[in-house]
Amino acid sequence: MTSPTSDSSATTAVPGQFQFPREYFFPPFFTRQTNLTTHHAQLVKWSSLVLSYCAHHRIYKLSISSSGIYSSNSSTLPQQSDLDPDSQPNPNSQNSNKLELFHNPKINRQLSLSDIREVIDFLRKDNRAEYIYKSEQPPNGLVDSSYNHPAGGGDVVWIFWRTPEEWASMIEKWVDETGQKGSVLTLYELTYGEATRGTEFHGLDPELLQKALATLVKRGKAQIFGQEDSKGVKFF
Amino acid sequence: MSRSKGVGLAAFDRSRITSAQFASHGSNLRSTNAQALETQLSVFRSLLQQFAQTHAKDIRSNPTFRAQFARMCAAIGVDPLASSNSSSSTSIWAQLLGRSVNDFYFELAVKVVEVCSDTRGENGGLIEVRKVREGIMRNRMEGASEITEDDILRAVATLKPLGSAYSVIKVGSKPYIRSVPKELNTDQSAVLEAVQVLGYVSVSMLMVNLKWQRARAQTALEDLVGEGMLWVDKQSVGEWEYWSPGFMLEGQDVGGGILPG
Repeated sequence: MTSPTSDSSATTAVPGQFQFPREYFFPPFFTRQTNLTTHHAQLVKWSSLVLSYCAHHRIYKLSISSSGIYSSNSSTLPQQSDLDPDSQPNPNSQNSNKLELFHNPKINRQLSLSDIREVIDFLRKDNRAEYIYKSEQPPNGLVDSSYNHPAGGGDVVWIFWRTPEEWASMIEKWVDETGQKGSVLTLYELTYGEATRGTEFHGLDPELLQKALATLVKRGKAQIFGQEDSKGVKFF
Repeated sequence: MSRSKGVGLAAFDRSRITSAQFASHGSNLRSTNAQALETQLSVFRSLLQQFAQTHAKDIRSNPTFRAQFARMCAAIGVDPLASSNSSSSTSIWAQLLGRSVNDFYFELAVKVVEVCSDTRGENGGLIEVRKVREGIMRNRMEGASEITEDDILRAVATLKPLGSAYSVIKVGSKPYIRSVPKELNTDQSAVLEAVQVLGYVSVSMLMVNLKWQRARAQTALEDLVGEGMLWVDKQSVGEWEYWSPGFMLEGQDVGGGILPG
């Protein structure tokens, strides 16, 4: 399958500066609050920051490890490397960008790894995140200064700023509106084809696309067939 | 010695007639008085109404004008927001202004409650009036009329009949709205006042500036953290800093500036 390098610039380029919320410049925001109510308010704010940040940059997956947090967007088709813990912490990897999300250099504050995991867990409870690959937890939770441990265990996690169901209904609506019910589309043309240019799911992560389509299949609204590399989908 | 009061039976008649005359004269006077008052009142009422109607737009849109009007009502002994007597549930403003000014404050009160309950998790139910105003202004549509802190204080006053926990307290010189029924002790108030200066304090800052023992400073800070009114920053250089949630400032330029080390 060809890699859609020509398209990627249009869909994954950073569209303008992300406007961080005011709490991002509030130093205690990066310290786990001891008061339960305050802590809950803190988690709510972090969750919405993570979601809006990822939505803005169209980040579908985060790779979380002691060497830093990276976006592991696969603007190309699924790569095994995304699931390979050893390749994750490599900052030179093309699809990995170290994120300022959990680290504000302006006020020199960062959220610790264990606190980040807590935010992810909070998102998971809301069905807004899902572990793809979860490493063993480090022996203690206090690892945020271990920047020089490239082999540190890495988690890869879906960040669902749109859930698979939401993507699915968006695709379903588009198929309906363009009168393509009953016809067969390849997964590639759904997300990278000319026809979907301008839709929100143009450039959607291929794995996430499959997750989305799977929810349609489950509801009997679509059928997926074909081989690994050239899958097609038919909508009913 | 002549006596005005005669003796004999006729005297009874005369005294009855006199008292009747007095009574009728008295009631005459009373009714004229009442009539005059009523006229005055109705004139006043209609003038106030006329004034309010002519300027209803200004009252709603111009905060200075609104404050003046409220002050004028207070000066003449009309509490514009209080309900008039038990029989009618509408307030004088509601009667006079066709509800528009009255509703202005009630609507504002609803927004105040919204802002307070939205932020209760992050500030423990204590928020600066200025912050409430900012919060309300931020959510308003473009071109909506200006509101002042004075309006917000009036709006909070309208919540009183509901028996709600909303009240205005002063910390230092600044008015705060407290939306949880919780009293601050003097040490806590002193800390909150100190926090207003830089946005944060530390144990040693309290010890130096308030001449407190370490334990006292520590306790006051921990109490306030326990109430959710302060946030702790453990990544600061040196000792921990305790921040007021009111210092989550807008914009990125401010972020760098307020940090000490």
